[in-house]
Amino acid sequence: MIYIGLLISSQELSATPMTHVLVIEDDPVTSREIEAALQDHGFDVTLVNNGREGLLAAISDTFDIIVLDRMLPGALDGLGMLTALRASGITTPVLILSALSALDERVRGLRAGGDDYLTKPFEFIELTARLDALNRRRAPPSAANRDSRLRIGNLEIDLLRRSVRRGERQIDLLPREYALLEYLAQHAGQVVTRTMLFEAVWNYSYDDRTNVIDVHIGRLRHKIDGEGDSPMLQTIRGAGYVLRSPE
Amino acid sequence: MSYVRLSEIPRTISFRTALMFLALFGCSFFALFGYIYWQTTGYLISEVDTALHREVDRQNAQEPALRRTEILKHTEQDPEGRLPYTLFDSAGTTIAGALSTLPTFSAYDKPAEFFWDKANGHDRPIRYLVHKLDDGSTLLIGQDIHDIREFDELLVNALVSGGSLLIVVGLLGAIALGVSARRRLDVLSRSIKIIVEGDLSGRLPTRGNNDDIDRIAGVVNGMLDALERLMSEVKGVCDDIAHDLRTPLTRLIAGLERAQRRNLTQKEYASAIDTAIEDAKGLMQTFRALLRISEIEGSARRSNFTLVGFNQICADAVELFEPLADERGMNLEFKPCEGVDTVMGDSQLLFDAVCNLIDNAIKFSPDGSDVEVTVSADSNNCGISIRDHGPGIPEEEREAVFRRLYRSESSRHTPGNGLGLSMVSAVARLHDMSLQVHDARPGCRVDLIGKAQNA
Repeated sequence: MIYIGLLISSQELSATPMTHVLVIEDDPVTSREIEAALQDHGFDVTLVNNGREGLLAAISDTFDIIVLDRMLPGALDGLGMLTALRASGITTPVLILSALSALDERVRGLRAGGDDYLTKPFEFIELTARLDALNRRRAPPSAANRDSRLRIGNLEIDLLRRSVRRGERQIDLLPREYALLEYLAQHAGQVVTRTMLFEAVWNYSYDDRTNVIDVHIGRLRHKIDGEGDSPMLQTIRGAGYVLRSPE
Repeated sequence: MSYVRLSEIPRTISFRTALMFLALFGCSFFALFGYIYWQTTGYLISEVDTALHREVDRQNAQEPALRRTEILKHTEQDPEGRLPYTLFDSAGTTIAGALSTLPTFSAYDKPAEFFWDKANGHDRPIRYLVHKLDDGSTLLIGQDIHDIREFDELLVNALVSGGSLLIVVGLLGAIALGVSARRRLDVLSRSIKIIVEGDLSGRLPTRGNNDDIDRIAGVVNGMLDALERLMSEVKGVCDDIAHDLRTPLTRLIAGLERAQRRNLTQKEYASAIDTAIEDAKGLMQTFRALLRISEIEGSARRSNFTLVGFNQICADAVELFEPLADERGMNLEFKPCEGVDTVMGDSQLLFDAVCNLIDNAIKFSPDGSDVEVTVSADSNNCGISIRDHGPGIPEEEREAVFRRLYRSESSRHTPGNGLGLSMVSAVARLHDMSLQVHDARPGCRVDLIGKAQNA
């Protein structure tokens, strides 16, 4: 497994209380690596190695996010555990880890109550970025979020009119560019991986052999970070992108 | 020709089937013959009986004296005793006729048979009727039925000899069938043995008459084709994995060892780690792609198929790659079709396949050239064709490019893992679509054609 420490978002973390993550994974090597990666990312991790204990832990304790392996030993496998969890009224976001990449597997996982799905082998940067996104989604929308406008620094996105301004400058975007920017803005300050972007904006799952996304981002960057402005859309090497206020 | 052991023949299906038919035919033969025998003899005997009764009636109606004279005269005219009419008095002594004693009989006026020991030493079977006359004397009317018995015997002889002939010919036929089946199966099993021993190019011989064994041999040959292709792919994959993964692994290890050996600054360490991670990620991508292809090939994802529009998929893919083409001054042109563009399929996989093809087309084309993506349809089929103006794929490599990890010499220096087209090929196979590489002069055209489905 490849582990890449994520150095971003420490300033965001300091403001919020520690995020508790329950990891249900039977393979000791993988679970240790996940634990290390999540701890480095600033999460508080509880490890469990089977579905039954996972269900007990999830019911008796409060967690912010659950990372669930699809294949678990014993009577209660990942999907069974998830179904039981949802049946008992617990809405904690769940990210499913699976060795099966088939589309129908993904659909089954999400239908059983999963919130996201990641195929093994994965990069840990991908896992932490997705967990950040899930954690953000869980947080109650602030007053600013309920607004029909998103503001990041001097970038302003009107979600209803689908128009974008940077300072005084009106920016014309193609529909796909707008969709990219909107997703990035909704996750402002967080690392967003190419895979996440692709799934959210193109509605296909990502096959990571091309640099096509980079070209799309390059065009978007060219439009929003014009000549005079300080750059907002940053590339995080080996990870993805982050849109943040330049200040 | 091969030698077939006799003990093996009874085990062949042909022999057993022939034997079964022989038994069936034999049974019906005996039943038919038995019926004919029974009917014929019954008819002849009943004819005799009718004649006997008629004669008794006639004699009964005659005057006793006249009757006696007539019987005497009759006996004289029938020296061979064909119709031995005899008149006995109440004490059982012969009054007139050929017989000297009254044979024992069970009842009057009921036909019975006895063997007449004639004076000349001949035994003759006689069917007779004994009648009590009004004057107290007893009349015996008889008929020699030797001819009927002889006819019966003839019939039985014919039955036995015909039946034996039937059995002998049938058995010989069954053995011949068994031998020929055994020989044919021996030829087949020898061919299979050779194949099992490792000669995967061997095929089962067929006669071309499309009989049962030919059809099975045809199916097995089809299976062998698939097997041979898979084996060569597996072998190819092993070779290619060895080649293709060795290079990045060597680079990775060399880089890490170099970092370990030298006293590097903090910054140099960081850059060495970055390089190592990049290399390892590349390796992981290759493995992930390999896993994905195996999953597609080994899956029953067809159950997940829905109606998918080629126009939509190609439009999405073209839209995705348009900026990439644009960067290189290329024109990515998309021509949707007017007719039915829907097929049964998995949109994600088809999208991936089209992306792979477009990606390849862009990668291998010179800057500033055109790439055309066309969806076309006729009443039965619906296809996507992707045409570039690159160097094209030489005729002899058009099969090989679909092999996992295959990189043609000309593409060695282009980034990629050699799995793109294998993935497309796996998707095409899963969808029962045809995937062909054509020479577009200049450039190459890849056609992915499936069966159109009306919504």
